[in-house]
Amino acid sequence: MLQFNTDTIRFLDGTEQRFRDNPSVLHQWTIQLDLLDESELAALDQFVVTNQGRFGNFSFTDPWDGTVYPNCSLAADTFGFQLSGEMRGKATVTVCENRT
Amino acid sequence: MIYFPQLSSGATGQFPISRERLARTVVNQSLQNYQVKLADPGAAVTEWHLSFEEMSDQELAALEALFQAVEGSLTPFTFLDPADNLLAWSEQQSQPVWQADSLLVLTGGVADPLGGTNAYQVSNPTAATLMLQQSINAPASLAYCLSLYACSAQISRVWLVRGTETDAYAIGPQWTRLVSAGQLANAAESISFGIALDPGATMNVYGFQAEAQTAASLYKPTADTGGVYPNARFKGDTLTITTVGPSRHSCELDIVNVEYL
Repeated sequence: MLQFNTDTIRFLDGTEQRFRDNPSVLHQWTIQLDLLDESELAALDQFVVTNQGRFGNFSFTDPWDGTVYPNCSLAADTFGFQLSGEMRGKATVTVCENRT
Repeated sequence: MIYFPQLSSGATGQFPISRERLARTVVNQSLQNYQVKLADPGAAVTEWHLSFEEMSDQELAALEALFQAVEGSLTPFTFLDPADNLLAWSEQQSQPVWQADSLLVLTGGVADPLGGTNAYQVSNPTAATLMLQQSINAPASLAYCLSLYACSAQISRVWLVRGTETDAYAIGPQWTRLVSAGQLANAAESISFGIALDPGATMNVYGFQAEAQTAASLYKPTADTGGVYPNARFKGDTLTITTVGPSRHSCELDIVNVEYL
C-alpha cells in the first residue's frame, strides 16, 4: 500500500487548494504467511516481542522490488498465529514505513 | 502450585492452537506522520485459544478441578505454553538464567546446524563432572521433553539432565539432535534442564529446548522469556463442556496472561 497525505481546502465557490502534508509517499506491506513451521512462527513471534509491537524500528526489504526501507515498524501492537497442525502455522504481519 | 493439567498423552494442548500477543505502545503522531513512541512493556498480554476434543473422563475431571480451584478467572495458575520452548535465552547460555558450574568454559559464536553462529562450545577442563542447566518454575511431575543439538570433534559422551533424570548419549563430529523425554515421580515445584559433561570433554551445543510434552517438536528459539506463564488465568468464568458419549468430552477455552496483574 502506498500512502500520501493530502490536505484539501474547499472554498465556497467550489474551488479547492491542495497541498501535501507529507514530504513523500509512505509504504505499507501486509504479509500473509501460511504453512509456517513452528521454528518460523517462533522466529516471527520473537521478532514481534523484541520490537515490543509497533514500538521498535527495523529495516525492511520490499519483496516486490528489493528496495531496502531503513525505517519501518510493525503496524500493530497485536500479533497472533494459528497452528492447525504440525508445520501448519498461519500468521499475518503488517509492516509500515515510518517518516524520517 | 496450581497448574494447567496435561492430557493423558502428555500434551498440554491439541491442534488447533492459537496464540495472540498484545503489546501497548503510546504514539503521538503529528499531522505530517512523524511519530513519537513510548513502549509500555508492563501492559503486555498473551492469550491462547485452546480446543479439546475426545477428552476422557479423567482428563475432563482434571480440567474441571483446575477451573474450580482457581474459581474461573479469579486466581492465577501456571500455564506451560504448548506452542513454545519453556527455556529462556535458548541461544545464549552466557545469560544469568543459565546456571553453569564455575569451572565450565563457555565460548559463544560457534557455527550452528541451522546456518548461524549461535552455538556454544562447552569445555570441562576439570577432573569432575560439570553441568550447565536452567531451572523453570513448573511442576516436576509433568511429562517433559528436553532436546538439543550437539557435536564433538571426537567421539564423546554427553548427559542430558531432565530434573533428577540423566541420560547419556554418544556424539561425534556431525550435529545430532538429542532428545530426553519422560515423566518423573517428583513433587517438586521446579525442574532443571541442561547437560552434564564428563571430565575433559569438549563439545558444541545448540538449540536447547524444553517442552511440556513427550516428544520434541521443531526447535523454537527464545529470548528473555520462555513459555512458562506463572500468572495465567482463565479468560472467562464459564467452562462449557460438550459430551457426546461415555468418556468423550470436548471444550474450548481461552487463557490469558497479563503481566501487570
